[in-house]
Amino acid sequence: MVKIRFLIMAVIAAGIVVLAIFYLFPSEEMKVKKQFHLLSDWVSKDPGENVFTTARKTQRIGSLFAEKLELKTEIDSMSGSYSPEEISSLATRGRLMFSSLSLKFYDFDISFPENGIAKVILTATLKGRSTTGEYVHETHEPECILRKIERRWLFSNVEIGEVLKK
Amino acid sequence: MNVVAFNRSIRQFFFPSLTPKFLIRALLVALCAYLFFGHICIPLHIKGYSMEPTYRNGSVNFLWKLGYLFSKPKRHDVVAVRFAGKRVMLLKRVVAVEGERIEFRKGRLLVDGKEIDEPYVRYPCDWNLPPRQVEKDSVYVVGDNRSMPIEEHHFGQTSTKRILGVPLW
Repeated sequence: MVKIRFLIMAVIAAGIVVLAIFYLFPSEEMKVKKQFHLLSDWVSKDPGENVFTTARKTQRIGSLFAEKLELKTEIDSMSGSYSPEEISSLATRGRLMFSSLSLKFYDFDISFPENGIAKVILTATLKGRSTTGEYVHETHEPECILRKIERRWLFSNVEIGEVLKK
Repeated sequence: MNVVAFNRSIRQFFFPSLTPKFLIRALLVALCAYLFFGHICIPLHIKGYSMEPTYRNGSVNFLWKLGYLFSKPKRHDVVAVRFAGKRVMLLKRVVAVEGERIEFRKGRLLVDGKEIDEPYVRYPCDWNLPPRQVEKDSVYVVGDNRSMPIEEHHFGQTSTKRILGVPLW
């Protein structure tokens, strides 16, 4: 019995050590994932969000993007090249249209085709309620390219894939 | 079996001793449950109204991944279409398979020019969609609830590689 208890404690201790190592020395994959978590956090909006939080979040969104973001979607008017300032401005306007907004990412498939380049295919869901009361629920499969610039992974290309083609 | 022995066995069942045999058994059960419910029969929580009234918003089901192990999806099958992984899927009905021409005329589904009977569509629909051919290794999927305008419904053709399986019921 003592041996088994010792074994369980040893397994728990080893687990804590492994978690601490992951936390203190994150892999490149985790650093890439973190950028998505930040984007999700800064785009999302709780009902009744105050102006300071809104200003802080929308200002930070731009810092996740490279000098030029190439966006490709099935909506031609949205496709094009955007600067971080333009993205922040678009995010501000977009968030103003919603009383609540939630952006979540799932099923990350991360690869590193070249040094300093990360390719991520994932599922993105956007849920929210507009200020006019309309419920929005969109799910897409974007393919994102992030480039490592000054030790930070920044979004440089986003292409929204088509899962169902009408 | 006397009362003391019975109580002991009940106690042993709910508060088992941490013996190696018990730990191995618990590990095997956990592994089997992970393999079965994580890769073969995945629990689904249905969110949305596109398959109403066949599948209600908020209902629970299981995705049977072995559904197409020896066959291909066919018309009227309900399938789960994946996005990048299996966390988020679309539940839709196959209405046409590869090579067929599909169109909607005043809400009626036509495949290769012939009207298809769809008893699962309960709500009135007035959709119009010009004919289009389903590509190779693809199927055309639509939800059962077509009461909304055609622009607001998520449907179309998708690769059969995206089909993960079928709902269990």
